[in-house]
Amino acid sequence: MIDYIIRRLLLMVPTLVGITAVVFFVMAYSPGGVGATLISRDAELRPAERRALEEYYNRRYGLNLPRPLQYLRWLGRVSPVGPKSAHEGFPRGLAFGLKAPDLGESMSRHRPVGAMILEALPVTLLLNLITIPIIYSVSIYLGIHAARHRGKLQDVGSGTVLLGLWSIPSIWAGVMLIGFFASREYLKLFPTTGLHDVRAESMLFLPSFGPEGFQRGWLLDTLYHLVLPVICLTYGGFAFLAKLSRGAVLEALMADYVRTARAKGLSEKAVLYNHVLRNSLLPLITVAAHLLPGLIAGAVVVETIFGIPGMGKLTIDAINARDREVVLATTLVAGVLSLIGILIADVCYAIADPRVSYDK
Amino acid sequence: MTSDAIPIGHEHVPPGPPAEATPSFARIVLRRTFASWRARVGAAWIGLMAFAAVFAPFLASSHPLAMKIDGRWSSPLLQHLTAADVILLIAAFTALALLCVPVAMSRRMMLFGGVLLILIPTAYLTIRPPATVVYERYREWEAAGRIERAFYAPIPYSPSDRLRDQPQASLRAPDRRHLLGTEVHGADVLSRMIHAARIALAIGLIATGIAVVLGVIIGGLMGYYSGTVDILGMRLIEIFEAIPTLFLLLAFVAFFPRNLYIMMAIIGLTSWTGNARFIRAEFLRLRKQDFVQAAIAAGLPLRSVLFRHMLPNGITPVLISASFGVASAILYESTLSFLGLGLVDEPSWGQLLNQALGVGGTFTWWIALYPGLAIFLTVFAYNLVGESLRDALDPKLSGIQ
Repeated sequence: MIDYIIRRLLLMVPTLVGITAVVFFVMAYSPGGVGATLISRDAELRPAERRALEEYYNRRYGLNLPRPLQYLRWLGRVSPVGPKSAHEGFPRGLAFGLKAPDLGESMSRHRPVGAMILEALPVTLLLNLITIPIIYSVSIYLGIHAARHRGKLQDVGSGTVLLGLWSIPSIWAGVMLIGFFASREYLKLFPTTGLHDVRAESMLFLPSFGPEGFQRGWLLDTLYHLVLPVICLTYGGFAFLAKLSRGAVLEALMADYVRTARAKGLSEKAVLYNHVLRNSLLPLITVAAHLLPGLIAGAVVVETIFGIPGMGKLTIDAINARDREVVLATTLVAGVLSLIGILIADVCYAIADPRVSYDK
Repeated sequence: MTSDAIPIGHEHVPPGPPAEATPSFARIVLRRTFASWRARVGAAWIGLMAFAAVFAPFLASSHPLAMKIDGRWSSPLLQHLTAADVILLIAAFTALALLCVPVAMSRRMMLFGGVLLILIPTAYLTIRPPATVVYERYREWEAAGRIERAFYAPIPYSPSDRLRDQPQASLRAPDRRHLLGTEVHGADVLSRMIHAARIALAIGLIATGIAVVLGVIIGGLMGYYSGTVDILGMRLIEIFEAIPTLFLLLAFVAFFPRNLYIMMAIIGLTSWTGNARFIRAEFLRLRKQDFVQAAIAAGLPLRSVLFRHMLPNGITPVLISASFGVASAILYESTLSFLGLGLVDEPSWGQLLNQALGVGGTFTWWIALYPGLAIFLTVFAYNLVGESLRDALDPKLSGIQ
């Protein structure tokens, strides 16, 4: 198993190089390139200043080098193995070895990219950590329900309704939710933007009763801000997973062991939840991995509509500002996340099903 | 094993008796698909959208269809038709006419392609509508009493008619003149929605077409050669799948000029992986079968083996995914337009939706509701058709029924 994981981790390297290369060359070969936009943003420069700025950018990011060389330079900086200054990283004495990857500095905000990602990533992960369990529990329940009433109105009806939910564009759902549940004109139940209240900094973590009555506290305040975004992220996932779990449950219901379990006189509930469910979970595990990149991308839209400072918003802002360093870094992080997600799913698959083995 | 090699798409017409006795596989699938009401509802909505797309200038335009001005009849609407309008109209009528003519499907496709090949350059070379359009002048002439009679389209507002001559034209709530209200710049929402159906359908069909062609070629080569080609191809697929499509799309669209065709190409370029996987799996299964071996042994060129013999037997999963692909391409286009990365001066559902939430927390319900509903219904329609197609092609289901 360990062999397998190590092999897969090593195989990730060429894939990640490929991913970042695709994005890098798209940006590098775009009309005007990256440098031109940086300079055109400060349009009222005198020629001498402009030249100085150009020179600075060229020195800092190597924008005057041939493009493949620029990419190699970037790779050298983010690679955790390579030349480094001695006394840093590992081994200490040598000028070559393990080092901390350097994601560079944002061209538009002039801050270290690593720090920006460390701020944004937990927000997106939090969104996904709330979303995925909700999607899974609801759709497994719906799938079992549909499989039990196969071919009846509940089955066909829930299938069509879920397909309809899946077809609702999240941009529309977001706009309508904000419009009707958070705007001044209609119900002002929820906040329109952001992740925290203005006063969140001074809140206690947990809700409390004080002299001013009930205080929401930091935790509840965050959850309160997340209600609409989470609705927006979840509803679309039901259709796909519910259909999958319906199929898996149907297949399991026809198996011999289910007949045995029924013949033993077990209640229908025990048969469903102890025998059928465990065996039909397998396909759902593998799908989890492929859900993750989709959810990160879905977060782009939801984070933009609700103004949540996560990875998606960071990427959109960076793309709009043509901030090469940030775009490359977010692509790298998203790529690593989704590849690790796929790996974890494969490992879980082997753990859940003893018949699956990756060892030769 | 050749008995299950049922060619679809290509009808190998036997020279002898007519093939009426056994309907073709494609016909059976079509009949089974449209037996369900879901597919019929979906197809009806898509048909309605296609109608709106083709006849958009006749449905919503500020130009009078015919008018009598200073004693002379003229048709400003016909004069202002663009090359794209004419191409769409002629192509739609050709397609309809070809469907009525009893010839083989492949012959029809070739004829249609030939018509398009002649039509597109001639239309762009010969049709030159007036460069500057002043919509207000019709209303001014009307007010001045110069127009004696005029016949207008059902919705007498062009999508880019900003109603500059009318005060407070922007964000008017739906009433009898503007059935779905007006948007921020004062243009009629319904008119913009009708014209936006064009972009939505065109992007959906052409982007999916590109994705299918790419997927079939790459997946076909992977499945046919297997081995090293397969491993390299799988890495390529993995790379494209590990980048969230929306990220890649955004990067492409933000860095390259805004253009409908570039947008189609990009959506196609980022969504071929699923098709390639399906075709690869099918071809891996088919490559050792007798009829393929026979084709190779007969010395047929690779093109013929791949596309004439293997593809018709392995295309079915791609048909299903293409139907869902159209839906997701429409979603991508509206998302990009919503994020402000769409086409600049073309009406689009996503771009309309973007105007619903104004600065300062204002919310305009008619701009949010109707364009969103249009996106939703179109995506839902394609998904319904795809779902019914999948049910019709599912061998497990057909065994039970």
